[in-house]
Amino acid sequence: MGLKIVVMIKQVPDSQEVVIDPVTFTLNRSAARNVINPADENAIEAALRIKDKLPDTHITVITMGPPFAETALLDAMARGVDDGLLVSDRAFAGADTYPTGLTLAATITKIGDVDMIFAGEESTDSSTGHVGPGVAEFLGIEQASYTSNSWIEDGYVYAERELEDGIETVKMKPPSLITVVTNANVPRNATLRMKIDAIRKGIKTWTLADIELKPEWVGLKGSPTVVKSMRTMNEKKREGKKFKAGEMDKFVDELVSKGILKL
Amino acid sequence: MSEFDVIVVGAGPAGASAAIKLASAKVNVLLVDRADPPGSKNVSGGVLWGDSLTQVAPDWEKGPVERYVEAKGVSFLTKDSRISLDFRSKKFGEYKSGYTVLRTKFDAWLAKKAKDSGVMLVSGVTVDKIAMKDGKAVGVEQGGETITSDAVILAEGANSRIAYDSGLKRKPTDRNTALGVKEIIKLPEKTITERFGLTSPKMGFASEFVLGFLEGGVRAGGFLYTNKESLSIGAVISMAELRKNNKTYSFNVIEQFKEHPFVAPLLEGGRVEEYSAHLVPEGGISADSLNGNGYMIAGDAAGFTFSNGLVLQGMNYAIVSGIVAAESFLEKKEKGIQAGANFANYTENLSKTFVMKDMMNFKGIDKLTWSKYVHQTLPSIAEEAMLNMFSENGQPKKHLYKILTKSMSSHEESKLGMAMELLKMLRRM
Ligand SMILES: Cc1cc2nc3c(=O)[nH]c(=O)nc-3n(C[C@H](O)[C@H](O)[C@H](O)COP(=O)(O)OP(=O)(O)OC[C@H]3O[C@@H](n4cnc5c(N)ncnc54)[C@H](O)[C@@H]3O)c2cc1C
Ligand SMILES: Cc1cc2nc3c(=O)[nH]c(=O)nc-3n(C[C@H](O)[C@H](O)[C@H](O)COP(=O)(O)OP(=O)(O)OC[C@H]3O[C@@H](n4cnc5c(N)ncnc54)[C@H](O)[C@@H]3O)c2cc1C
Repeated sequence: MGLKIVVMIKQVPDSQEVVIDPVTFTLNRSAARNVINPADENAIEAALRIKDKLPDTHITVITMGPPFAETALLDAMARGVDDGLLVSDRAFAGADTYPTGLTLAATITKIGDVDMIFAGEESTDSSTGHVGPGVAEFLGIEQASYTSNSWIEDGYVYAERELEDGIETVKMKPPSLITVVTNANVPRNATLRMKIDAIRKGIKTWTLADIELKPEWVGLKGSPTVVKSMRTMNEKKREGKKFKAGEMDKFVDELVSKGILKL
Repeated sequence: MSEFDVIVVGAGPAGASAAIKLASAKVNVLLVDRADPPGSKNVSGGVLWGDSLTQVAPDWEKGPVERYVEAKGVSFLTKDSRISLDFRSKKFGEYKSGYTVLRTKFDAWLAKKAKDSGVMLVSGVTVDKIAMKDGKAVGVEQGGETITSDAVILAEGANSRIAYDSGLKRKPTDRNTALGVKEIIKLPEKTITERFGLTSPKMGFASEFVLGFLEGGVRAGGFLYTNKESLSIGAVISMAELRKNNKTYSFNVIEQFKEHPFVAPLLEGGRVEEYSAHLVPEGGISADSLNGNGYMIAGDAAGFTFSNGLVLQGMNYAIVSGIVAAESFLEKKEKGIQAGANFANYTENLSKTFVMKDMMNFKGIDKLTWSKYVHQTLPSIAEEAMLNMFSENGQPKKHLYKILTKSMSSHEESKLGMAMELLKMLRRM
């Protein structure tokens, strides 16, 4: 039997298109298109590179999310991932990072015999970076966060962690979890052939009943976070004066008169 | 056996309409678009004229539309003046006008419709070319792999790279291409309804502009359309004009248009939300043949756009040609189709519709729309005449005819020449 890998991905609104509602402070997601969280694309690629070397590796990509997260899973499958699994249930709504991790850990347990788990370093829409490490803790397995490279050697998982003062290489016993930094690699593109095959194959969907967790442990009920208040930072209006080329003297005079520049 | 009955390349109005029509007849269709989601790179002014979409999406008027055009304008701009025709009618309704649409929303809605009617929709991949075997189209190629089909409907839009590469169409000359630039300007719904004097928030204004006042005598056409909560403003400049005036940039044209003393107040308080540019086919049918063995070309890829300075249309032609392509496939299928069959019936069927009739009747209209008469001579005569007619300088009034002939004689062209040109223009429109 080959290696069994799970990649956890999250569908997020394209960060370039998101606007924050000035009244409610919530993200207006409807305006933005949904994409795979950028770091998760790197996590998928990291898993695929292991499969490139060990072709009998089986990769499952999982996400906890609404039904339309299917497109993210199909996208991953079109790049070479074997299976897509959506974990979706009304009971999961309103989850903070704690029940999200728990739900994903239960899913991985249910999949069974998983050797490696990949996640992104953090999401672009909440950016807590909790979920990957949280899952490792729930499963009680070893983990390496913020990795840029990973491989399998002599039955061990190796990962290079990007630290401020250098690169740390860690050696872990499988099963272990790795979170991948954004831009760790260049994700491959899907071809038309692979996209068609992914659509034909389709995804699997599990609900709360499939992962055997109690309703009070998941979603809003299982979330310990309480949001006390939120505010947005408003842009400060600046004077914004323009000087044309050749007006250097005027520009300098202006700076001096404002006390910004001292001669 | 082919993998699909039909592969449609491009999920714009032409491709999506074709795919929906086919899937509703239980045909196995693959619809491919390079953008994800489909339509996210597409640009129109845009007013969707008429109701041809009803044939494939009966509920579209409740879907991705902005405002119904109850007010249609045409304006000539000179440096200091705006001469407008502003037509508003309660009879639009009985007489179909059109709805303003925003393409990102519109195309995504139509693509979803296609998916729901059973089309396999793949977005985010660019098809490389049509796969040819023994002179017949047998599918498409992408990333070195071939996906086979009995027929290919090419609906890739104005920048028809596949058609060029497959030798189905000559590379465009400056004469058959124009560049469209467009901005979407955000404004509150109420402001738009009030500013344009519309009878309700559901009703809209659409106007074309002849931009005769541009720096360097550049000739370009402008448009201004009202959406629910935004304005679409843009300009279309022929490639020849851009090339001739090497100091002209398309963004300069739209800036000058926006800053015109009688355009700027309409945009007051708005925030630019989107900026886009796209090619517009000009001068009629551009494909050497609209059909061949195993393929049909629809929409902009075939050159089906119509613009005469008073209106700019393309989406309606795209939809109709897409539907006719689908029907032509169904016709052949009924008789037991072979992969790579010749779709001469597409050209035949199309010639019975307004698409082909308009293309034939208005051939060469681009010569008129870009003429000096339309852009400079006429507007300046009109401006002078209006100023004389509508001002009071303590002088006795003159007859309109006198005023006109006087303004005309200040131009270098002969009166007879101008009258002839005017007649020619009217006949061409
Ligand atoms: C205070 C707070 C309140 C919230 N309230 C709500 C709420 O009311 N409703 C709501 O819908 N959401 C809510 N969320 C958001 C949602 O639960 C979190 O987005 C989710 O828990 C993941 O956290 P994150 O985005 O910070 O992921 P991170 O921890 O930054 O993500 C790291 C990695 O974990 C993996 N991952 C993360 N999420 C998933 C997932 N869902 N499926 C598979 N893999 C995943 C990915 O690999 C990702 O790259 C809330 C979040 C917070 C912090
Ligand atoms: C500035 C401007 C204003 C306009 N105003 C109006 C208006 O007011 N009213 C009107 O009716 N028309 C207007 N038009 C014209 C109208 O936009 C077009 O006629 C219409 O979009 C044509 O539809 P289509 O489906 O043929 O092509 P498109 O809408 O261009 O769709 C082509 C599709 O093919 C896809 N594609 C291209 N190449 C490939 C490939 N190799 N592989 C996969 N997919 C591919 C593209 O992503 C795109 O989705 C305007 C055009 C412009 C530029």
